[in-house]
Amino acid sequence: MDVRSQISMVFHLDKCIGCHTCSIACKNIWTDRKGTEYMWWNNVETKPGTGYPTKWEDQDKYKGGWEKSNGSIKLKSTGKGRIIPNIFHHPHQPSMDDYYEPWTYKYDELFTAPEGTDQPTARPISMVTGKHMDIEAGPNWDDDLSGSPVYAANDPNLKGLTAEQKMQLSAIERLVFFYFPRICNHCLNPGCVASCPSGALHKRGEDGLVLVDQERCRGWRSCIAACPYKKTYYNWQTGKSEKCILCFPRIESGQAPACFHSCVGRIRYLGVLLYDADLIDEVANKPDDELIDAHRAMILNPHDPEVVRAAQSNGVHDEVIKSAQKSPVYKFVKEWGIALPPHIEYRTLPMLFYVPPMLPVMTAMDGNAKKNMTEGLFPDFDKARAPMEFLANLFSGGNTGKMRYALKKQMAVRQYRRAVTVGDISQEAANKMLVEADCSVEQAEGIYNLTSLCTFDDRFVIPPANREEAIQMMRDPLEFKQSVGFGLREEPERGA
Amino acid sequence: MQRSRKSQTHAGSARIAAAVSFAFVSLVICSTLRAQVPADYFKQNCASCHTIGGGRLTGPDLKNLSERQERDWLVNWMLDPEGTLKSGDPYAVKLQKEARGAVMTRSPGITRSLAVALLDLIDQESQLEKSQFAGTQLSDRPLLQEDIDEGTALFLGQTKLKNGGPSCIGCHTVNSLTGLGGGRLGLNLTRAYARLEGRKGLSAWLLAPPSLTMNPIFTKHPIDEEEVLPLVAFLKNETERDEPANVTAMINFMLYGIGGAVVLLVVFDLLWNRRFRGVRQPMVNESYHN
Repeated sequence: MDVRSQISMVFHLDKCIGCHTCSIACKNIWTDRKGTEYMWWNNVETKPGTGYPTKWEDQDKYKGGWEKSNGSIKLKSTGKGRIIPNIFHHPHQPSMDDYYEPWTYKYDELFTAPEGTDQPTARPISMVTGKHMDIEAGPNWDDDLSGSPVYAANDPNLKGLTAEQKMQLSAIERLVFFYFPRICNHCLNPGCVASCPSGALHKRGEDGLVLVDQERCRGWRSCIAACPYKKTYYNWQTGKSEKCILCFPRIESGQAPACFHSCVGRIRYLGVLLYDADLIDEVANKPDDELIDAHRAMILNPHDPEVVRAAQSNGVHDEVIKSAQKSPVYKFVKEWGIALPPHIEYRTLPMLFYVPPMLPVMTAMDGNAKKNMTEGLFPDFDKARAPMEFLANLFSGGNTGKMRYALKKQMAVRQYRRAVTVGDISQEAANKMLVEADCSVEQAEGIYNLTSLCTFDDRFVIPPANREEAIQMMRDPLEFKQSVGFGLREEPERGA
Repeated sequence: MQRSRKSQTHAGSARIAAAVSFAFVSLVICSTLRAQVPADYFKQNCASCHTIGGGRLTGPDLKNLSERQERDWLVNWMLDPEGTLKSGDPYAVKLQKEARGAVMTRSPGITRSLAVALLDLIDQESQLEKSQFAGTQLSDRPLLQEDIDEGTALFLGQTKLKNGGPSCIGCHTVNSLTGLGGGRLGLNLTRAYARLEGRKGLSAWLLAPPSLTMNPIFTKHPIDEEEVLPLVAFLKNETERDEPANVTAMINFMLYGIGGAVVLLVVFDLLWNRRFRGVRQPMVNESYHN
């Protein structure tokens, strides 16, 4: 058992209001430099939709992630042999059109336009060429637009749905969408790290963050092709690749990453998970339908004395273990099983999990009143607007059982709380639902508390970085004792 | 950083000692350097056109230079030959006429103090019976057919240069070469013998090529004295034959280049046929067609 710690995340999609505050917070801190205009380390997508870059989930085109081959796995885009003939021209790079051409507006023209019969307008100018441009696409194109015949209809997750299901998705009264905020998943088996010919990408030992060493990066761009989530980006100004760093300077000083901190819907949770690194190879090799369970099984119980001992002997700091025991992520993923990894079938073992959204109740107008179209207070999932298969394609590698479990448990908690607070559902019926959903009363209270009443400290359990101890490996902290401090840089001419 | 008073005093006396010894050492080094730097500089930058007591090359023999002109004039001339010439200075015009139109170039990195040091060096060397800068006195035996053959081999790279320098054909060509000819980065050397005014000038050039491109390469890998005579023989022969430029070869060269580029593009396109070709625009186009 090789126990390591990983800072992991849960996004509760049921709470996401699609306000893009996270994207802006990230943009303002990290990617408003020249060469990074088109990058969104954090972006929010409307689903169904094609996302950013367009159709990034279509790995037949983008060649991201791993695939099974002869009992082992290999990268789809490159490999030790394949990287050499392709090193000066990597054939699987998204173009600027697939991201979007970043633009701003010439606001001067609002003031300097000559007098005329029309209102002056600020024309868009490209942030790459500086010339006027026609905006054709953006990082959240067709945002809030379900049923769009171009972007929504081409969502790769719609594969496997029947023609009728697809048609219903764009039928006028069944339109449905939800938001899908994305950052780097800081995977356990990252394709970007495996593909880098310079060894510039690495997974940080103490907290598992996947980072690009800006000194060692030579801009070969193989990480961009290899990441199936398209979350590494090439900076055309510096000629190096960049990606989400989970705001590690903030994490190290005990603050939540900017996108977490600024989240209006409070959908984001962050905490440490302990996992068994010996299992990575085995788990990444499992057949598609076993991936979710195998991935979950890698995550170890931080209360188990044996795990704690193994972690300690592996150099995981006591305070990190303590932090792992309080981790909200552990609860969502492991204890409750209601948070699922995005596209586990890419086999990078992402460490960002999503609580799937409960999609809206079917209603219709009945005179002046809204009438609930489903029996009971909450809808039946199989009659829900978004087909179960669609959600399962996105979050459980097509495994509808796992999706149903997560939704059912959330539903049971709602029923249970309805019985407690409103009382129009009988306690017995609610308890029966809990049992059916494999949920105890304590769990239901826990899920309710962490979903609805969570404070800042409940959501973000950030382990101390212990930098002051880490530094002892490199240098003696007492090296400058008594040699620095209050004193004179230049001797005074008199006195002293 | 704050130290105690006592260690400051120690540090002070140590500093004085260090300064004294540094000054002494640098004095010693400087006095040797003072002789060494101009001599090396002369060898690298001046010797290809000038000798001291070895007769005229492209430029005049510099023996007893100070008897011919005043020092101020010489320094200004060395720092800005073209400027002096433009100002219509009669002596500069005379020099240019003697050199058959060649103008001295401003040597790389020359400064006023270096110019003075060089003039000192020339004065010193002029006193000697035989200066180290009298120029390599290559044998003046008549050039034979064997010399031309050996020179041809050296030029073409069939015989490697002894000190590891690159063969001439890499950058230069002569008109008598058939096929695609030689390199076209450097000058065409068909008339090099005539340009550098014969055997002496050409030999001096080859021994220490002063041009900006060749100097850094051949400083490290000089052409051996024994290789100079065959090369001179070869280039003399070229000048004497003075064949017209081979136009067909140049056109062929260009056509081969274009053809090669086209072939490469086709190969690359086939090789990366399954490359990523864009997703968004085709998707949008297709959706509007349906």
